Amino acid sequence: MFYNYFKTAFRNLLRNKGYAAINIVGLAVGIAACLLIFLVIQFETSFDNFHKKKNEIYRIGTELPGADGMNYTAGCALPVGPQLRLDFPQVKEVASIFNQGGQITIDNNGSQKKFNADNFFYAEPEFFSIFDFGWLSGNPQTCLKDPNSAAITQEVAEKYFGDWRSAIGKTFKYENKTPYKICGILKNIPANSDFPLGIVVSYSAINSTYLKDNLKDWVSTFGDAYTFVVLPPEISQIKFNEQLKAFSKKHKPAEYAKEASYAQPLTEIHFDNRFGNFSGHTFGHSLIEALALIGVFLIVIASVNFINLATAQAVNRSKEVGIRKVLGSNRLQLALQFLGETFLITFAAIIFAVGIAIIVLPLVNQLLEIKMSINFIANPVVTLFLVTTLVLVTFLSGIYPAIILSGFNPITALKSKITSKMVGGLSLRRVLVVLQFVIAQILIIGMLIVVSQMNYFRTASLGFDKAAILNVGLPGDSVSHTKINYVRDALLKNPDIKNVSFSFTSPSSESNWNSDFKFDHSAKTTDFSANLKWADENYFKTYNLQFVAGRAFYPSDTSREFVVNETLIKKLGIRDPKDAIGKQINFWNGAKVANIVGVIRDFNTYSLRKPIGAVVLSSAKDFYQTINIKIKPGAEKATLPFIEKVWNDAFPDYVYEYRFLDDTIAGFYKQENQLSLLYKVFAGLAIFISCLGLYGLVSFMAVQRTKEVGIRKVLGASVQNIVYLFSKEFTLLIIIAFAIAAPIAYYIMHKWLLDYTYRIDLGASTFLLAIAGSIIISWITVGHRAIKAAIANPVKSLRTE
Amino acid sequence: MIKITELEKIYRTEEVETIALNKLSIEVKDGEFVAVMGPSGCGKSTLLNILGLLDDPDKGSFIFNQIEVADFNERRRADLRKHNIGFVFQSFNLIDELTVFENVELPLIYTGVKSADRKKRVEEVLDKVQIMHRRNHYPQQLSGGQQQRVAVARAVVNKPKLILADEPTGNLDSHNGNDVMQLLTELNEQGTTIVMVTHSEHDAGYSHRIIRMLDGQTVTENILV
Repeated sequence: MFYNYFKTAFRNLLRNKGYAAINIVGLAVGIAACLLIFLVIQFETSFDNFHKKKNEIYRIGTELPGADGMNYTAGCALPVGPQLRLDFPQVKEVASIFNQGGQITIDNNGSQKKFNADNFFYAEPEFFSIFDFGWLSGNPQTCLKDPNSAAITQEVAEKYFGDWRSAIGKTFKYENKTPYKICGILKNIPANSDFPLGIVVSYSAINSTYLKDNLKDWVSTFGDAYTFVVLPPEISQIKFNEQLKAFSKKHKPAEYAKEASYAQPLTEIHFDNRFGNFSGHTFGHSLIEALALIGVFLIVIASVNFINLATAQAVNRSKEVGIRKVLGSNRLQLALQFLGETFLITFAAIIFAVGIAIIVLPLVNQLLEIKMSINFIANPVVTLFLVTTLVLVTFLSGIYPAIILSGFNPITALKSKITSKMVGGLSLRRVLVVLQFVIAQILIIGMLIVVSQMNYFRTASLGFDKAAILNVGLPGDSVSHTKINYVRDALLKNPDIKNVSFSFTSPSSESNWNSDFKFDHSAKTTDFSANLKWADENYFKTYNLQFVAGRAFYPSDTSREFVVNETLIKKLGIRDPKDAIGKQINFWNGAKVANIVGVIRDFNTYSLRKPIGAVVLSSAKDFYQTINIKIKPGAEKATLPFIEKVWNDAFPDYVYEYRFLDDTIAGFYKQENQLSLLYKVFAGLAIFISCLGLYGLVSFMAVQRTKEVGIRKVLGASVQNIVYLFSKEFTLLIIIAFAIAAPIAYYIMHKWLLDYTYRIDLGASTFLLAIAGSIIISWITVGHRAIKAAIANPVKSLRTE
Repeated sequence: MIKITELEKIYRTEEVETIALNKLSIEVKDGEFVAVMGPSGCGKSTLLNILGLLDDPDKGSFIFNQIEVADFNERRRADLRKHNIGFVFQSFNLIDELTVFENVELPLIYTGVKSADRKKRVEEVLDKVQIMHRRNHYPQQLSGGQQQRVAVARAVVNKPKLILADEPTGNLDSHNGNDVMQLLTELNEQGTTIVMVTHSEHDAGYSHRIIRMLDGQTVTENILV
């Protein structure tokens, strides 16, 4: 019996190739997108869930109350970890780990190999009893005890030494200074971990670095110094956080007591972008929800095609239904038969979808900068997902046509008296087309808004000149700092180099140094922090920063004068910038005291997501770590080798690294860029699948109305009249869909834009563009088929009756 | 075999009420071959649909094989139909997507006959209507006469007690028409009861008895044998 159903189903599909193709292509594309979304979500939700204690591990971050609300950092002050062990004996496991960038030098029989390493960590041995990172060789308990020993991953070992087995016992130098001996090899870190460990050295090694004093410093919070605890089941997160508030109060100086430690579950680290993590890659719950919703949307759109085409085609199947009923088939058997056909189509679509997913997966990996494996097919969860999709889509799209088709009266069906009106699907089909275009237009409007916001980011004035500026690293040691003048003079010898300035960071940067201060001999510190931009006097010219009052500071190696921005004086309640000149700023109780000599126009210190904060600029040679080079526009590429040579001559022991400021700033919006590309793809898919369905529907309409078109033409209708006849209904449906989609899209995108301090206006133009685009695309879709129907010879169509 | 008494069937649309069958009473005995004749709209087709359990009467009694079936629901009608009644239509009504063999096999599938038995019985009956050589062809590849022979084969493959034929030669030339009538006569001689609606006096001549209808009622009955 089932064999017979499948046989009929299969032959039916072969006979109606166009119909089958539209259904299979639409469903395959929809399911492929959904499958990829599922894989992405599965990958993103699998981060660090391979640790046995994953549900008991908490990270001790810090809450920092500020003038503009609560700020969060994933790190904590360095004494927090050791003190937790003393104050909370009931917490059995505590481990600290500190990520530092730096340079690794390997002495290989006299020849030196230099590497820049972002993945350098100080870690306590306990870290490896809390987390389940495997060791190929060595033992964390013994290996990480000794301050000058290190463990490296297999990958790093192979990069540095060729073979990981030969790496044990070898040494390397960190920052051209501290030697470490390799005593352990870590298994490569899985792709789905937020701990991109590469080199792990003993935590006790911090004692011999410049961070030594910070081990007792309760005030400085390091964003990359994490402490983890394993909470016993009797202590809840809420209870522990209350205890941590008291703990911070007890140990921190009174004025910092509000900066409380905060325990956050390991299971949230990958999703909570307020805190961040070592991998620098978070994936918010709202993003997961949005993606899941889009996946469901795409499947729904494809299923709608199915229902529409199946009910439209039902008329052609009525004879078969009649015969089968006469021959003794009951309704259930017929319904099962039609469901079987849907199953077959869905099954074929899923096979294609998997193929598409395999081809597209590397692109998705590249786009989202993740590492999903192509072996997803072997994953039973994926199989389960596909089977569920198969069953769900079969029922979603098959049940309605099956009920309609199996319900035909056999006598009427045999006399071919079933009309599309009797199928009862006309109004339903209209509703479904509207539903499709509501979804498609929400995605289109969303896409347009994300794209224009991105364009705004690219073109918005940041308040400083960012074109043709190259940022090169400056080694932090004092010997290198003595070469600052030499490097400047050498660089300026090249006529294509306009300006050179040394500074802590560029004007817009991800690393910011914030501090409160005392203003104008006040006894109290300010209730806001200023962003400290240490830079030499050439900084203003290099970046074309505009003065509204006063002047730049005079050349100096230390902070003798301050320049501030407009926001700072506004926050202090000063109206006229000139009034600020000569006023004193006092950092850290007299550690840095000087007068304001200039006020500059505001510029953006970070991404346009954030409002401009208060800024203080001053010279402080010790803190410089960036060389800012302004190149003649157009000569950027040609000048690069020259700059590299000057740099390498000056700092032969270090690795040369450069970045254009344009790229750095574009990097602030990486996630938005990824998102906007993703939206473009999904909106494109949605409109593609919808139009596919529209095309199928119009094709059926054209066939069914052949006679009508013939009669109309005989009576004098023009081709335009006929095309209008076909397009007017769909145009109306799309306009109705727009009326529903526009407010929904407005609501969603308005909320999204609120995350950005600097944002585009949600004008009517975006919405008009969306509706115009939808109508034009659907006209093109409908038009082709309508014109074909309209120019057909009426004699032919009338004779066939 | 069939006894209908005072059968009524009325079709209603919004404005018009059409009486298709007006207190019609007919009896057909086991093994009879009855032709039903009459002008268009006299109720022949309605009668055939009700006899074939495709439609239900509004009033009256319909006893099929000693069972009152006038008030059967669709499921019970379908069940009774597939075991006892075979249909032959004017327009053949073969399923285009199935081959000759598969079309004839279909009733056996619905009555749950096992695959091996099905093959034997289909081949037997295809042999009988001399269409065996075309068993793997699709309906579109056959002539009208061949298609109707397949339809007859499909109607008898389940060995029904009753065959209902609705203008079986209507779409055929006289040569092919005679072949089909010959086939029906043979089936009748082997014991199958046949009720045939026809416009053709010639075809009616093959039957034992002609029932003439007008406006939903019987007018005359001619007994030929």
